[in-house]
Amino acid sequence: MPSGSALLEVRDVVAGYGRGPAILTGAGITVEEGRTHCIIGPNGAGKSTLLKVVCGLLPARAGEVVFDGEPITGLRPDQILRRGICLVPQERALFPDMSVRENLRMGGYIIADKADLERRIDEVLEAFPVLRERGGQRAKSLSGGEQQMLTMGRTLVLRPRIVMLDEPSLGLAPRVVNQIFGIIRLLKDKGITVIIVEQNAVVGLSNADLGCVLDLGRTLFEGPADGILADPRIRELYLGKRAGAA
Amino acid sequence: MTDILQILLIGAVLGGVYALMASGLTLIFGVMKIINLAHPIFIIIGAYVSYWLFTLVGLDPILSMPIAMIVLFCLGIVVYKLIFEREAASARYSEMTVLLTFAVALSFDGLLGVLFGNTQRITSPSYAVEAILLGDLFLPKGQFYAGLVSIALIVALAAFLKFTRFGYAIRATTQNRDAAQLLGVNVGLVSTVTFGIGIALAGASGALISFIFSFFPARHWEWIALLMSLIVLGGMGRLMGAVVGAFLLAIVSAFVGSYFGSTWSMMTFYLALFLILLVRPQGLFGEKME
Repeated sequence: MPSGSALLEVRDVVAGYGRGPAILTGAGITVEEGRTHCIIGPNGAGKSTLLKVVCGLLPARAGEVVFDGEPITGLRPDQILRRGICLVPQERALFPDMSVRENLRMGGYIIADKADLERRIDEVLEAFPVLRERGGQRAKSLSGGEQQMLTMGRTLVLRPRIVMLDEPSLGLAPRVVNQIFGIIRLLKDKGITVIIVEQNAVVGLSNADLGCVLDLGRTLFEGPADGILADPRIRELYLGKRAGAA
Repeated sequence: MTDILQILLIGAVLGGVYALMASGLTLIFGVMKIINLAHPIFIIIGAYVSYWLFTLVGLDPILSMPIAMIVLFCLGIVVYKLIFEREAASARYSEMTVLLTFAVALSFDGLLGVLFGNTQRITSPSYAVEAILLGDLFLPKGQFYAGLVSIALIVALAAFLKFTRFGYAIRATTQNRDAAQLLGVNVGLVSTVTFGIGIALAGASGALISFIFSFFPARHWEWIALLMSLIVLGGMGRLMGAVVGAFLLAIVSAFVGSYFGSTWSMMTFYLALFLILLVRPQGLFGEKME
């Protein structure tokens, strides 16, 4: 696919926190519509930072983010959210004392039309029967897997075009991780473009169409996920011994 | 038996008033993690607004309560913008706010002293000295009205938080500031307005206590410990916790006051504060901090 048809294009981004050193020193990723992308790289490579730049939580010091042909660098987080780019952050981002339904309502906070919002929430509950059962329960009473499901369901209220997931499997039991990747496939089936950051590169890449390898704040390599999984150099460098187990 | 019911009754109406005094404090802590030591001085400013409106134009303090709320809301926003907003990104924000609010309390205390002197004042609408008799029980009208209006305001506040869009934003910001921002909540605006609402609630309780307690500028030092004990008992930042804490301690202190003498009733709050911090520092409804 030519790069002009990319849904999201991140080019040569330099970014860091506060007055601190740059974490990203020239990172980029080309995101194609309707496909699942996995960003891998060692700890501190800047994977999460890259997602924060895309959704506007962290300003880019240099470089460009282009969404749907328009530059979105420098927009506020809520403006980027309105365009349909949602981030599911690494730490559980729920409101612990709100009910499941109230959490979903917060997911559609920027939607002013109440009736429309309730319709969208019902749609999400349709897709996640477990959440429907737990509708009135406080979010903190859910299991880890259910909480992650709620976080992802909450994102869907906005009918996003791109969902970015930062380490969705972190701290979850293997069985639950399978469930979560099941949901990620569901997102893809709905036509949503997905970007996953995964510490567990093998699981991440085998669930993705395209991969992106980040190291020391730079993009080293982009390409088909199975190609990255098969590449002996990348296996040795970034997949470590886990590759053999897969 | 009548004695006990009488004490319970007085404790309960005072509990309502204390709950309103504490509601703004706990709301502000919940959303902004500001430990507002200046809260009672804002209550006193509210009391002065109602006192002067009553003295100068004869306006009933319950009727002037909305005016006190509006004045204090505006004052709250100005204070927040001038003093707290610029520090919001600081890593030691909560600790700093203790010093900053202490300074705010001192400044307003001094200013009020210069303006109005240290004379004890009390608003005196006719009902402030009347009572309702229920069989053998006796209920001072002033405290009864103040308690009722306080409870009505707290119910209104709870409904606002539970059902309105801005209420959702306030609760979300309280529970997870980053996530709220991620979902498009303007947390800066939420903080500013919530500070204003919290101070407006202080103004409302000021109007109400202006006819049940005598007040003078430095009286706020006595109230801060009382209010802190209520919200610490309930769990910092939790509205319902503050309400339950207020009723519990008001009733306990009414019993202490009537059995050991009124000098000791204030001691109830200080002792409670020590005990809670020793036994259950997160409060009745709070969660353990990591």
